[in-house]
Amino acid sequence: MKRCSTFVVVAAALVLSSCSPSHTDRIVIGSKNFTESFLLGEIVAQMIESRTQLKVDRRFYLAGTYICQQAILAGRIDIYPEYTGTALTAILKQKVGGDKQEVYQRVKSEYRNRFGLTLGQPLGFNDTFAMEIRGEDARRLNVKTLSEAAAFAPKWRAGFGYEFMERPDGYRGLVATYGLHFAEPPRIMDLGLLARALKDHQIDLAGGNTTDGLIPALGLFVLEDDRHYFPPYEAVPVIRQQTLEQHPEVAQVLGALAGKISDAEMQGLNYAVDGQHRDAEEVTREFLRGKGLVQ
Amino acid sequence: MQATAATPVIEFRDVSYRVAGTQVLSGFNLQVHSGETLVLLGRSGSGKTTSLKLVNRLLTPTCGDILVRGMSNKDADLIRLRRGIGYVIQDVGLFPHFTIERNIGLVPKIEGWPEDRIRARVQELMQMVGLAPETATRYPRQLSGGQRQRVGVARALAADPEILLMDEPFGALDPLTRDELQREFLLLQRRLHKTVVFVTHDLHEALRLGSRIALMEAGRLVTVLSPGEFLRSADPLAAAYVRAFGKGLESAANRGTS
Amino acid sequence: MNLFRFMLRNHDQVLELTLEHLRLVGFSTLLAMLIGIPLGIGIAHWPRFNKPVLASANIIQTIPSLALFGFLLPVPWLGARADRLAILALTLYALLPIIRNTYTGLRGVDAAVVEAGRGMGLTESQLLFQVELPLAVSVILSGVRVAIVISVGLATIAAAIGAGGLGEFIFRGLAMVDDRVILAGAIPAALLALLADFGVGWLERRLQPR
Repeated sequence: MKRCSTFVVVAAALVLSSCSPSHTDRIVIGSKNFTESFLLGEIVAQMIESRTQLKVDRRFYLAGTYICQQAILAGRIDIYPEYTGTALTAILKQKVGGDKQEVYQRVKSEYRNRFGLTLGQPLGFNDTFAMEIRGEDARRLNVKTLSEAAAFAPKWRAGFGYEFMERPDGYRGLVATYGLHFAEPPRIMDLGLLARALKDHQIDLAGGNTTDGLIPALGLFVLEDDRHYFPPYEAVPVIRQQTLEQHPEVAQVLGALAGKISDAEMQGLNYAVDGQHRDAEEVTREFLRGKGLVQ
Repeated sequence: MQATAATPVIEFRDVSYRVAGTQVLSGFNLQVHSGETLVLLGRSGSGKTTSLKLVNRLLTPTCGDILVRGMSNKDADLIRLRRGIGYVIQDVGLFPHFTIERNIGLVPKIEGWPEDRIRARVQELMQMVGLAPETATRYPRQLSGGQRQRVGVARALAADPEILLMDEPFGALDPLTRDELQREFLLLQRRLHKTVVFVTHDLHEALRLGSRIALMEAGRLVTVLSPGEFLRSADPLAAAYVRAFGKGLESAANRGTS
Repeated sequence: MNLFRFMLRNHDQVLELTLEHLRLVGFSTLLAMLIGIPLGIGIAHWPRFNKPVLASANIIQTIPSLALFGFLLPVPWLGARADRLAILALTLYALLPIIRNTYTGLRGVDAAVVEAGRGMGLTESQLLFQVELPLAVSVILSGVRVAIVISVGLATIAAAIGAGGLGEFIFRGLAMVDDRVILAGAIPAALLALLADFGVGWLERRLQPR
């Protein structure tokens, strides 16, 4: 009989530990593992902290889109910043097409129906892929668009981030659309190191983003996507429906952020952290105060 | 179904047992009568343990039939059959995680006897086999070999079965303890008159305890004789046994019950 | 801010991730016991199945965990949720020690005890539940202990595919190049493993058959 009761205790312990933890008193905000995502997360976090009574937990630097999606589906995070283009191709696995509005609406309705997730209003900037070259090369070769760059690609070494190489809306489609043939297979490196590698002539073309802080800082040139290969990547907050139901004040806070961050402002924020090595929390606080969004 | 004076309690009819290409038992015919101690005597490999296990159906015969109380045990409810037969083995096989009283009382318990009846029966049995009452709450590992086998016998008798099957029960004990237990077995039998099938390879033991001795060799029954007849037998195998076991057999035979 | 103060300040998150970790380990170990113990009982009674069953469990063990997570990702329903997938993978890894120890534990029961029990007229299920399992429980628990300790370790890797748990701290800390975050995950994970090993070990010793 003692044995039976011990087994019951062990089993009960295992079952109890199996129950999902709930955090109804807190909001958990996630972000991906690059500066811009981290900054957006911090912006949302500070907004909620200053405008509501809610306590905020930060789970930043999650390894990627898939990890964030899993976390929000499982209820481990309540909000995280996503991009419409990424949501469309990487998560919904659909083909790109249509302009910003269409993409946004499509993602919004699919997220609601399929996942029970709400897409907030766009934050104001479009962080799409930017194929960057050195400013002096752009002037010397007189090249402005990706179509023109195809002629020089065989002499160039390219560098891209890991996710860009793997994503369906990334490397594969790019080289197909523009007929790019690089001298060697592209170097895969951390997003944060690409711009510097470009500056140091380790690579000649870097797959960065339009909001890279280092673009103005290092005098880099963004080749125009004249064939409109890259889909729109409007930054939007993704929120769990249950979170909005439990804390309707969150919707108000996110509404206040709609359209408040321009491309240039995002570049500046990124540069402050990546280029000037300032503290992200401080940079965010300064930005929000400057915009009059927090006291 | 109670056996009448005429019906044997156990009967082997043309029983054969074959396993893994070896003929362990062939053409075995034997009757065991109510109240007798039938000793199966033979060396290892003679088929004596096999015959025992055929009675409570731990083994199934290849051919032939074993009748228990006039009914073939092939058709009987296995569990009911076994609960009506006491089984004592050389290694005893007490449940190490049960106390002595739980060990002894197991069959009554699973038969649904009320608690107080079980308790009373356990006390009665412990007295019968010569175990001190304080042993009841101990565990098998705390007992000596002799004490453990006493528990084994008590356990086998707990539900008051008509039949007792004993497979070299005292074989692992030292000679002094063996002698004690044999003596106590005789006293018990005189009281209880169970039908016992007792397996041994020891002629001393066979002559002392058996009312009849069935001599087995290479899976066949050689002869069935009373202890006295065995000593005087002209059968070559029986004579060989007598010679091999030497002196002191007469007195052993005389202490047996007929 | 040193590690201790960091963990104190973020104790909510440390606790939450620990609970997530326990959830992964708890569910999978429970499932593995529900599947593995009956399987172990089965092959102990029908030994001709023991080679295929033990061999299959062994093969699963040799697959590197990250590879197994990768295999299961494209599976419908299962791959849709990382924690579901992780729990399945962890269950599979926990099977071998549990099946094997159930089998060994039952086979290790004294044959004389089983024979006596059967000869006395115990039904097969009475024999199993009242005699064999209680006598084998210590060995079975030892298999459960090994399974839990393995699971705690594998669950940290499961964070790589988005299943959460203490491994997430480790991966995030690596991305942030912040030792405190790494250790905030690594230390509790190690402590969990030690605690489980010690706790279940204590239970094993208490239940050892006399």
